[in-house]
Formats: sequence, C-alpha cells, structure tokens
Amino acid sequence: MQRKLIRNLDYTLAAVVVLLLAFSLVVMRSASANVGAEPLDFVIKQTLWIFTGLVVIGVSLFFRYQTFARYSWYIYGFNLVILLSVILVGVNVNGAHRWINIAGFQFQPSEFAKLFIIIGFADFLTTRQGRLDTLKDLLPCFIYIAVPMLLILKQPDLGTSLVFLAIMLGMMVVAGANKKIMGLLTFGSLAVAIFAIYGHMTWGWWLPLQDYQIKRLIIFLDPDIDPLKSGYHIRQSLIAIGSGGLFGKGLFQGSQAQLNFLPEHHTDFIFSVIGEELGFIGSVSLLTLFLVMILRGIKIALDARDTYGTLLVTGVVSMWLFQVLVNVGMTTGIMPVTGIPLPFVSYGGSAMITNMTCIGLLLNVCLRRQSITF
Amino acid sequence: MFATPVQVRKRSTHILIGFTALVCILILRLFWVQVVNGSFYAEKAEDVRMRELPVEAKRGTIYDRNMNSLAVSVSVDSVVANPAEVKKNKEPDQRAIANELARILEMDPEKVFQTITKANSGFVWVKRKVEPDKIEQLRNSTVKLNGISFIPESKRFYEKGKLAAHILGFTDTDARGIEGLELIFDKDLRGLPGKLVAEYDARNLELPQAQHAYVRPIDGHSLVLTIDETVQYIIERELDKLDRERKPKGATIIVMDVKTGRILGMSNRPTYDPNERDKYPDTARRNRAINDVYEPGSTFKIVTASAAIEEGAVKDTDKFYDPGYATIGDRKVRCWKPDGHGSQTFPEVVQNSCNPGFIQIGMNLGVEKFYNYLLAFGFGSPTGISMNGEAAGILVPKKTVKPIDLATMSIGQANAVTPIQLITAVSAVANGGKLMKPQLVEKVLDSQGAVIQTFEPEVVRQVVSKETAQKLNLILETVVSKGTGTNAYIEGYRVGGKTGTAQKIKPNGGYMEGEYVVSFVGIAPANDPAVACLVVVDAPQGVQQFGGLVAAPVFKSVMTDVLRHLGIPPQMNTGEAPAAATNQVEAVAVPQVTGIGVDDAEDRLLHVGLGVATEGFGTRVVNQLPQPGEKVTPQTTVVLYLAEDDKTAKVNPGTQVECPDLLGKGIKQVGDTLAKLGLSFEPVGTGVAKSQSYKAGTKLPVGTVVRVEFVPADETGP
Repeated sequence: MQRKLIRNLDYTLAAVVVLLLAFSLVVMRSASANVGAEPLDFVIKQTLWIFTGLVVIGVSLFFRYQTFARYSWYIYGFNLVILLSVILVGVNVNGAHRWINIAGFQFQPSEFAKLFIIIGFADFLTTRQGRLDTLKDLLPCFIYIAVPMLLILKQPDLGTSLVFLAIMLGMMVVAGANKKIMGLLTFGSLAVAIFAIYGHMTWGWWLPLQDYQIKRLIIFLDPDIDPLKSGYHIRQSLIAIGSGGLFGKGLFQGSQAQLNFLPEHHTDFIFSVIGEELGFIGSVSLLTLFLVMILRGIKIALDARDTYGTLLVTGVVSMWLFQVLVNVGMTTGIMPVTGIPLPFVSYGGSAMITNMTCIGLLLNVCLRRQSITF
Repeated sequence: MFATPVQVRKRSTHILIGFTALVCILILRLFWVQVVNGSFYAEKAEDVRMRELPVEAKRGTIYDRNMNSLAVSVSVDSVVANPAEVKKNKEPDQRAIANELARILEMDPEKVFQTITKANSGFVWVKRKVEPDKIEQLRNSTVKLNGISFIPESKRFYEKGKLAAHILGFTDTDARGIEGLELIFDKDLRGLPGKLVAEYDARNLELPQAQHAYVRPIDGHSLVLTIDETVQYIIERELDKLDRERKPKGATIIVMDVKTGRILGMSNRPTYDPNERDKYPDTARRNRAINDVYEPGSTFKIVTASAAIEEGAVKDTDKFYDPGYATIGDRKVRCWKPDGHGSQTFPEVVQNSCNPGFIQIGMNLGVEKFYNYLLAFGFGSPTGISMNGEAAGILVPKKTVKPIDLATMSIGQANAVTPIQLITAVSAVANGGKLMKPQLVEKVLDSQGAVIQTFEPEVVRQVVSKETAQKLNLILETVVSKGTGTNAYIEGYRVGGKTGTAQKIKPNGGYMEGEYVVSFVGIAPANDPAVACLVVVDAPQGVQQFGGLVAAPVFKSVMTDVLRHLGIPPQMNTGEAPAAATNQVEAVAVPQVTGIGVDDAEDRLLHVGLGVATEGFGTRVVNQLPQPGEKVTPQTTVVLYLAEDDKTAKVNPGTQVECPDLLGKGIKQVGDTLAKLGLSFEPVGTGVAKSQSYKAGTKLPVGTVVRVEFVPADETGP
C-alpha cells in the first residue's frame, strides 16, 4: 500500500470506530455476565470477531475497491446461493432458519447478504446512471433487490428485509433516481403497509407475515396486546432504560439486565443495558459516536473518486443509520420490534465481521479519494 | 459525479441536518424516558424484582386478672415452597419432594406436587402452622427438600382449653380475631405486621446475596381481664356437673363483682374448645349470657320489689292476700302454689315469690313508674359489655301495655332479658342502687407489660337509693334463709337470692308446654354484698323444673367456693351459732400434689382440710390450682387437672427422675414431656424454650417445679 494512501486515512472515523468497539466490549462484559457458561464467554468471542474483522479490513485495503465491481454478478449469484441454502439446510432456531453451519461455526448469511447487496447494487446502479427516470427504468432495480430480500423474508427475518429496503432507498436516491417516483413509492407503500396491518387487525385480512411478526410491528403502540412476549420485552426495556436515569446504575448494577428481566440483553436489547447501567449520559454518548460515524461516512461518500465509491459508502451509511434508528427506537418503545441488532455493539459474529468489512469499504473509498478539495 | 459541486454541497447539508435531526429525536425520546420519567421507571424496576412477605406480629396474650395466661401465641412454622426453586430439581426429585411432604404433612401427594410446581410463582403455602414434631421430621428428612422452607408464624393457643371459651373467642389462620374478646380487642391484640423484603430474578429465584430488608413486626398488646381464672374454673366445673346430671339444652353462670361491675367468671353450656373449634357445632359457640334472651321469671321480682320500695308503693307493714290467683280484667293469673299463700307481709311476698302479691305491687306502681325502673335497670338496651352480638332484650312496647301485660311483667314474664342484663340489674341492688357497666377487660398492656389503658369501673346511674337497696338485700337474705331459696343457703355466710322459673317462649310466640328456664340469682354477703351470681338452666331433665331445686344448689356450690377463693370471711348468720372457729380461720398452704396419682392427691388435700375437684380424665395429676405453697382458707377447693395414663408415666412420689433437655421445644411439648416424668411445669413467656431452671440430667424428685422460660422463635432467628 502506498504511503500517500495512508495519508488519506480518515482518523476521525478510525477513532470513532475504536471508541465504539471499546464501548461495545465494556458493555458486553456487563450485559453477558450471566448469559454464557463463563462470564467472559461473549466478550472473548466478540473480541475474536473484531480481530477477524480487522484482518478482513487489512486484507481488503490492498485491493482497489473498483475491483469488486468487476465481480458484482458473481457476488450477487453467490449471495442468492447462500440465502437459498439457509432455507434448505439452515439450522432451525426458534422456528427460523437463519444460521448455517460451516466448519463448526454458525454463520448468519443474511448479515453478509447486506454487504454483498451493497457491493453488487452499487455496480448495478453505476451502469444505469442517468437512466433512472421512469418507472420502467426503476423496475429492474426493485427486482434486483427483491429477489434476495424475499429469500430473507422467507427465513423469516423481517428486520433484515427492511434493512434491504433502507439500503435500496438510500442508494437509489443518491444515484439520482426519480425523486417523485421514489417518494411516491416510499410513502405509498408505507401507507399501504399501515392500511394492510390495520385491515388485518380489524377485518382479519391475510398478510404474508406470521402473526407474531405483525404483533411486533405494532406492539410499540400498545404493549398490552401481547403482554407476555413482545409487550413484555418492550415494557422491561423501557423500565430498564428509564430506571437508569441521568447517570445510570453503573456497570453490573442494572437489575433489569442482571436479573434477566430484560430478554436478549446482550444482542438486540443491548441498548437497554446501556440505558440502565450508564444512564442518559451513556446512551447519548453512544448515539453521538454513531452520529459522528455516519456524518464521516457522508463526507467520504461526497469525496469519493467515482460514483461506484459514493454508492458503496451510501449503502453502508444507509444501513447503519437505519439499524441505529430502528434498534434504539425499538428499545425506547417508539418503533416496532423487528429484531435488528445495533451495529458494532450487539453480540454477533456475522454482524461484526460484516460491519467491520463495511468500515474497510469506507476506508478503501476514503484512501483512494480524489485529491481535490473544495 | 452526477451533480455540480454547489448542488452536492446543498444536498449534503440537507442530508446532514436530516440525519442529525433523526438522531436528535432518539435523544429527545431518551431524555423523556430517562430524565423526565426516570424515577417512575426506577420504582417500576423495584416492583419487578422486590417481593414482600408479611411477617406476623406476635398477638398479645390474654391474662386473667391475676396474670395467669388464658390465650397465648406460640411460634410455629409454616411450610412454604418457591416453585421456581423446586423446579430447578430434576423431575423425579420434584416428585420425591412432593411425596415426602405429603407423607409427613398427611396430604395428597398429587396436590402437593401441583402446589410446589405452580407456574410463574415464587411463593406458595404448602401447609400453614404445622406441629413442631412434623417440622422436625421435615428438617431431618433424608430427601433433599430444595425449594422448600419454613417460616415462623404464630398460632393461637388457648392454654386452658374450654375455660372461658366464649369470652376469649378465637382467631382464624391469619390470626385475625373472629369472635369474643379476640374480635372486640383485635386491633389491640394484633400488633403491626412486619415484612421481609427479598429480591427475586426473572425466573422467581430468590437472590441469595441480594438486598434483604426485614421490618420487625410490632407485637400486639396484651389484655388483663376481670375474669378470675379460679372463679372461672369453679363455674366451668359446676356447669360440667350440671351438664352431666341434668342434660339441659343450655346453661349459663355469671359471677360479678357487684361494686365494680367486673365479671369474675362467665360461662355457658354447650361450650367448645377454641383450639379445636372445628370439632364442635356452631351452636356451641353461642355466648348465651350475652347473645340470648329468656324470660327471667321470678328472679325479675327483685326489680319489681326495688321499684315498689323506692316509690313507696309498698310498706313492710302492708298486707297482701293471695287466694291462689290474681284476677286482671277477665283473666286469671295463677300463683305457683295452687291454694295460695293467704295473708302475707311484703317480705313474705318476696320470700314466697308470691305471684298475686307481686302483681298487686306492680299494679300499685303503674305502667309509667314500672317502665321508668325497667329502663333505669338497663333492660331493653345492651349493657355495652365488650362482647360481640349482644342482644338488647325484648320489652313489651310501653304504648301497647295492657293491665294483663303489666301484671305478667311484674312477675318476670312477657319481657325477655339477657343473663348479663339481669345480673347487672341485681348487682345494682346489691351495690347500693348504683348500676355499673359490666366489664370483662381491666387493662391493656403493651408488649413490654406496661399499662397503656385501664378500664375503671363505670357507674351508669343510681337506680334506687342506698336505703332501698339495703332493705331489699336483707329481704333477699330471708328468701334464702326461710323462703323459696333455701337450697342456696351456705353455711356461715349471709346469702341473699331469688329463684326463678319461667316457661320458655316459642319462637313464634306463646309458651312451650313443659319446658322451663330455671334460674337463681343471688348475692353475698347480704349485709355488704361483694359478689353476685346468676345461674340459668334451660330445660333441665330428670327433676322438677323449679329454680329452687335445680339452680339454687348450683348457685350454692359456685358461691361457696368463690367466697372462699376471694377470701371473704364467713359471717355469723342471724339466728345461727357460728361454725367453730370459722371466722378466725388459719390459712393453709396448698401441698404439692402434681405428678402423683389422683387418689393420693385427694388424700393429701383432704388431710390438710382442703376440698378437691377434678378436671379432665385420667389417673395422674398434671397440674393443680391453686399452685403449691399458696396460702388459702381451709375448705378451699383445689382443682386437679388429670391426664390420661399413656401421657403420664406412673411415678411414685419420692422417686428421682432426670430433668430432660427442654431447650428449643414448644410449650405444649415441654408440658407433655414434664408431665410424663411427673415433674411440674411453670412456663414463663411464650414461644420456644430458651432456658430451664434445672440443667438437663439433674436428678429431681418427682413433683419438682421446673421453671422454663420461653422466647418467641423469631428472636433467635435473623
């Protein structure tokens, strides 16, 4: 790697990521203290994933990111194959086929699928640049996204499917898709979804979703409709975050998390542990780190040497922003329960490696940016 | 790129603002939840994990007026389970626990299993208030009872069984007063429950090292009654005898201190044992003395007579002629003596309990004055005694009174009164005309024994003058010395009294054929009355149903022992030679007879000039009253408590026995153990034995009094 490239490194982004990971490990230590067989189980594993991610970042930086565009269709095809294989031979956990066993490790292909779709879709849009004005132009883009998305929805994994929509929306808007059509479609489908769910609840309309998924989508409006499952989650999460107050109860001191009143507190609901143990100060600090990271991402996207680079970064930033908003919104009771993890903080190997690789992409685009400044 | 640099800048600024705004919404939401509503959620978090277990306060003791305990609270353990902990065991172990509990506690194994594995629960009762030996068995069980624990609760123990059952009442499982003084003074006795706060996790498992708070309960107040245990024993003994011999439908005896209105003893038949109240019919719990009314018959003539004397309606010199009946309008009321009493003076009318005579006296008084006294003596309204369900009595409404009603009322018919009303009214006559409020409770003590409330004697009103009262007392004495009440005559004492026989009222009006309520009310000593006693017997069998034949002898037995017990010296009776040296009696020390055979005991007592009465069945004396060493007047009856043979070993007086180790045992257990060895028992305090006056293993002669101190079990706990 050339020395001049290193000079281009975004130190702010790097620092934010390091802080975020440190934060994550500290909280993981407390949140998973009574989950695994040994108190350090999850911290050790998460550290392992972080280092795996760092290796992936290091290796990926040796390649020009434009190289990935050349293999975009292979990547797309590979993506569909692994998603199909999950459905066919995946491990059944709580009625969902989300994991696949490779060499003794369980992987969650839908996490990697997000990365693969960003790499592929960025190329797909670059080749269609300037031809994204009519519905006819846009239709192939929707189909491109819809195929893997439906496979994920089949697992079923509603949350990750929604992340796909956010990635698609962000990338297409930046790629210059017709704003009126995009706006109309976004708000139109949102309206249709709301109406459909209302119809389902009121008149029993059929929906391509499981009953529990629908309940989770609307649970934040009234936790009492399912007080034992998702309603219980929401309520315990709110109690956890709220009881943390301004300064929090301190690490290992959160009764909601440590006494297991809060379910999934080392994965999807880890933000509730932060809220409970580190308080308003801690949770706002974390959100600030995310905000800085996202804003640095936007800057990298704007500074990118080419459209492909811009779109790559846009996809990553859209994904993170959506996941942070929906995850924190869920734990604080203003968003549906969709099972979307908090990037870099929730426990999960596939997600950590994916997110670290995304950092690699951002840095790659950043290092090889135009030298012009304005 | 696909936009000019200016457009890009503008767009990027918009995006920055937009994204920042979205994150700000989250921050605002966090501010709302954490800062604004933080304390609300903090409380909720506490609710989620803290559970409170109530800790019963020790219920106060009920003592008689000499501080002998009648009702005490004993610490007993209840068996509880934490289903979440139980379910941590393997399935077969859960079954084993259920079976072991079921075996020892004599319950259905399947039901126990259901209980201890109840879903979503951290606390269930398995069995409450279990006998100490069963708890001991459970503690020593070879089955590991994981998830099962014992919590101390208090159980009410009525030490003297049936004694004063109606007065004391009883409590329910949760130690709430249900009847009697337990109910009336529930607030005082109950105390304030404490609580044990423990922290639980989401699976209902208690956290061993977690926050535990123990709020000590505040023990309840104790009551000191006006009841005298010995007087009460005497009453119970006589009622039992009456029950055996006459098989009445019911009976009541009340003994009252006439100067204060304090009740020294009160009991009814049928009765029950509050320790085992389930074994008795509900009707046995009726406190007839307070709850039921009857027509007092001739005993009521005391009221008629006092009113007449007070109002000057009769003079001693007035002559009354009784032809055997009285005519009121077109109706004839018969005298109990078919051919009449002929010509009599007023005292003779009272002595003879002559109906036509009293009817004339009532007629002379007139409706207005008669009612004034009726109400002034307290008839027709509750006396206000601290008992539940007191009846007011039923009076013929004054407005509808016809001459025939006035006539029958004068001889104690037509109106219905409660036994407590009658004895209160008669006591007023004995007390110089002052009507006292009947009292059962003398003092309320706090748990340390300090007096926090005293119930002073309460004068309700002066009903008749002192002179009238004195005059009547002397007339009543002649009823006993030469009138209808001679069966109540007690050698050496001046006793006044009045018999009563009344037909029973049918529930739907009219009188029952052949069923009578016979009664006797009396006072002693007649020249300066101290006590009054009322005996009411409902439908006695086997004898002529006359108050003088049935109730008067009972009165005599009760009064004889009561007067001696109270230390009221016998007086010389008018016209009688004083019994040798009875007015200068030398006190006798009660010998120790506990632990020996009943025949031996009787011999010893009779030998020193004391009377004997027995209580219970068996051949061994397990307790005695008065206690050994107490100085009493000769002829005092010593009550011997007997126990069955299997409970008490046959021990010969003079043998040596080894003092057992009593520490940690309950009162009942200690009592049984000592009785078995023939040792006497002096309990102090309640709960479990903490110290004993002789070390375990000490050789003691049979009959030695072992003093055992008890402390509530929770004081030795956390």
